[in-house]
Amino acid sequence: MLLEADDLNVRYGRNHAVRHVSLSVDEGEIVTVLGANGAGKSSLLKALQGTAGATADALRFRGQDISSRSAQKRVRSGLVMVPEGRQIFVSLTVHDNLLMGAYCRRDSDVAKDIEGVYERFPNLAQRRTMPASVLSGGEQQMLAISRALLARPVLMMLDEPSLGLSPILVNQLFELIVALNRDGLSILLVEQNTHKALQTASRGYVLELGRVVAEGTPDQLRAGEKLEAAYLGAG
Amino acid sequence: MLILQQLISGLMIGGIYVMVAVAFTLTIGMLNFLNFTIPALFMLSGMVAWGLTTVGVHWALALLGGVATATFASLIVERFTYRYMRVRYGDATEHALPLVSSLGFLIIFEHLVLVILGSDPQRFPTPFTSADFHLGKLIIGIPQLVSLVLALAIVWGLSIMLKRTRVGRALRSIAENPDAATLMGVSVNYIVPIVFVITGLMAGIAGMLFTLNYADINAYMGDNVAAKAIAGMVIGGLGNIWGAIAGGLIVGLTEVMAIHFFGADIVKIPIWGLLLLILLVRPSGLFGHTAIGKGKF
Ligand SMILES: Nc1ncnc2c1ncn2[C@@H]1O[C@H](COP(=O)(O)OP(=O)(O)OP(=O)(O)O)[C@@H](O)[C@H]1O
Ligand SMILES: [Mg+2]
Repeated sequence: MLLEADDLNVRYGRNHAVRHVSLSVDEGEIVTVLGANGAGKSSLLKALQGTAGATADALRFRGQDISSRSAQKRVRSGLVMVPEGRQIFVSLTVHDNLLMGAYCRRDSDVAKDIEGVYERFPNLAQRRTMPASVLSGGEQQMLAISRALLARPVLMMLDEPSLGLSPILVNQLFELIVALNRDGLSILLVEQNTHKALQTASRGYVLELGRVVAEGTPDQLRAGEKLEAAYLGAG
Repeated sequence: MLILQQLISGLMIGGIYVMVAVAFTLTIGMLNFLNFTIPALFMLSGMVAWGLTTVGVHWALALLGGVATATFASLIVERFTYRYMRVRYGDATEHALPLVSSLGFLIIFEHLVLVILGSDPQRFPTPFTSADFHLGKLIIGIPQLVSLVLALAIVWGLSIMLKRTRVGRALRSIAENPDAATLMGVSVNYIVPIVFVITGLMAGIAGMLFTLNYADINAYMGDNVAAKAIAGMVIGGLGNIWGAIAGGLIVGLTEVMAIHFFGADIVKIPIWGLLLLILLVRPSGLFGHTAIGKGKF
């Protein structure tokens, strides 16, 4: 297993936002986490990344216990997150955003990798010296993903990447996710777009009020009633 | 000719305001924090240097000791204002408390110096009092000229550092969004003290240059200079390095011209009058952005 969490909990004061969640991602997999607003999806990702305080019986990444590692160290070991709402640095240029993505890297391939990003996304190349605030929503999402790619992730966690994108852009986004996965990147995908997420993923978890109420293959999840109930119940 | 002479001295004292204004503007732009300890850092540099010379330390070493003390004091302030609030309340920048504690540090530092070094105005044993050179009828003090060039060079170097280097990018990304910076692998607790080191160095070197050139120093020497630097910063535009440069020089020039034409008593009126006027017609300052707060670099 690439990533394994056992009995993971996140508490904000008295609010027990993630409850006894056990989850795993295997190498080469796309795994999705579904759930209504407030179900605890972002809290779960933050706990895995190390930016939210969490307790767990076990938290292993690439075979090593990471529960006491800082977020920075987890980034360095290849666990990289594209946060909810993109969070690109709008006061920095597009190019500086990409350089920030490679902040932890010391190797000499950074420039080459950035050129690779520019080849893939000509829109970003055109605006490389402009502040990232000039980008459209879709371009911002591409920048956020590219920035994360520059950290050379082994497992990329995406928090609702399709939010606010037009249907065409959503399709392009999921095509990109599949392409990255085919190149060897493992992916943990939090989504509200259940349909698309289940089309893309090989396994999924359904969260409701912080608990895992269903897990399995897309077919199993579609067949069960938990998926719908999770959205109707807590939405 | 006399006017030209005044212009030159205005620029020279302005160079010192520029450095202090940059120290202020950096903490505001990066951390959204008006650091009231800066006048004390300025003063510590000069007074500690003077104190060291009284016990026989060579003047150059004494000046270095002053700057080092200011930098160290700045790190103490970081530890007990900014970082304390951040650890305790999550985000220090949302609170007025660091501002109040930094004011507390200002008063404590000034009174420590009063108690230890006394309240009499002192004279730093300046090694080059009469090193002037003459350009036609103009007299230019070489130490002052060197100070102005040094001040501008340091500020220029700082702006290049912020723009081009890895640490500079990390600082700017923290200024805008500390949470996202963390996701890039930036250790906020390791990078934020750098802002305070820079603040200590800027205020400390400014204090050193002031001490060398204007010789008259005491425990409150920072207050007056810092007030003018704040005026310069606001005139130029909050949280903007180029604004701090322009504003600091403008205040220096205004001060010297006001003294020349109207006498020394009135000098604060034109400076603060100019400030209020600029706030009325252009609240963001000459070079400022429309929004005030974080993410300016
Ligand atoms: N920093 C925080 N402090 C306190 N409570 C929080 C914090 N972040 C999240 N919560 C609470 O934890 C619960 C789960 O929030 P979380 O953001 O993880 O949900 P989510 O599934 O990502 O929702 P959404 O789909 O709206 O993004 C919510 O009740 C929320 O109010
Ligand atoms: Mg969320």
